[in-house]
Amino acid sequence: MDYFSEGLSQAVALLLSLDAETFSAVGATASVTALALFASLLLGLPLGFALGHFRFPGRRAARLFVDWMLSLPTVVIGLIVYALLTARGPLGEWGLLFTVPGMALGLTLLGLPIIVSMTATAVESTDTRLTETLLSLGADRWQLLLATLVEARFAMALAAATAFGRIVSEVGIAMMVGGNIKWQTRTITTAIALETGKGEFATGIALGFVLMVVALVVNLLVALLRGRSNGRQGGAQPGGVRP
Amino acid sequence: MSAPLYSLRGVVVGYGEPATANAVLHVPELSIERGSILGLVGHNGSGKSTLLKLLGFLLAPSAGELSFDGRVVDAAGYRAGHLLRRRAVLLGQDTCLLKRSVAANVAFGLKLRGQPVSQAALAEALGLVGLDFVEFGPRSWRELSGGEARRVALAARLALTPEALLLDEPTTGLDRASVGFVQQAVLAARESRGTTLVIASHDVDWLKSCADRVLLMDEGRITGEILGEL
Repeated sequence: MDYFSEGLSQAVALLLSLDAETFSAVGATASVTALALFASLLLGLPLGFALGHFRFPGRRAARLFVDWMLSLPTVVIGLIVYALLTARGPLGEWGLLFTVPGMALGLTLLGLPIIVSMTATAVESTDTRLTETLLSLGADRWQLLLATLVEARFAMALAAATAFGRIVSEVGIAMMVGGNIKWQTRTITTAIALETGKGEFATGIALGFVLMVVALVVNLLVALLRGRSNGRQGGAQPGGVRP
Repeated sequence: MSAPLYSLRGVVVGYGEPATANAVLHVPELSIERGSILGLVGHNGSGKSTLLKLLGFLLAPSAGELSFDGRVVDAAGYRAGHLLRRRAVLLGQDTCLLKRSVAANVAFGLKLRGQPVSQAALAEALGLVGLDFVEFGPRSWRELSGGEARRVALAARLALTPEALLLDEPTTGLDRASVGFVQQAVLAARESRGTTLVIASHDVDWLKSCADRVLLMDEGRITGEILGEL
């Protein structure tokens, strides 16, 4: 156990001394997570709404595809994105391999199915009367989309928090697509893997400590949102029935 | 004499192919004058709600012709249906409140239209259904009784000052006092704003007390008009 306590004390010292390398990894993690989460929300919210709201041929197959994407191993996603971004790949000329935007692209493929699936479920579970209410009040298509998402806002926030947790703690895609380049694409998770491999447990534990604090905050947020969402389930209130 | 607000000719609403063979509503001819109050009575499944959804542009006819404000509503009209629904507003049986405060619910339709929202307008709309803005405005949707929620939903539509207001069973589940407020609001909308109202209800006596005409519906057809005392 000394092994851990020594590592932990070194970790605290490393953080308090504002070690540049450690904070570089924290910065890269923040950048790549913010980019990937933003892209996942931008694409995932309308796609999830469409999947949950509209009835169209192939909807079940689309839903199955999204659920399949949820269970896709991250190394496979990393491999696919690597193949796309490599110099010989179809997107090679973009020069995104081993860059933060390239990593964000890979992590977006991780976060996107989470946002799409959870949004679709949230929209499906909103009261079917909500659509008629919004339309009868004069909502156009975009206002219908926006108002439905606002009504399902707690579930949306839960989806975002879940995707954030998954993206920030991912290592396979970050390692393969980012290349774990010091000062550039080295994130908390890839740094932990590297430092542990080198036997530098203090650095690994310091970074793990940061990640655990982030995970704790996210989980507290998720628990809070889940509680609020459960407390407000059932969509909008029917006009004639007390909830 | 001005043209009627609504004019229906040979209108059929049906499902499947051909729709006319599976009609749930068949209206050979119907005109609804501006500023009038039309009542609809009939059993469950008689077609009242379908007719109201048709007049509220939530449904398009499978066959026939529907004119609104002197113009035939064509496919392009239904594609931009929100523009029509902003003029003819439905309060359906299944209408619900949004997960917001009472004031936000009443203001919602105005915001959709990009219209300014004043406290005076919200207070006036709530006042029409007998609810005090200061007391009820800040309340959450969760803090309302069923009757209060129904009246808030009506106030949200009155605030929009539509040309046509379509009410489906507006008094169901309400106590006598609340029914009185709904009636007061209906008559005020017509008198002060010239709103055309179409109201479906099982309460024939109440309907006769506020409507100019009461039509009887059965199996998707208008089968007659109720005149005088029952």
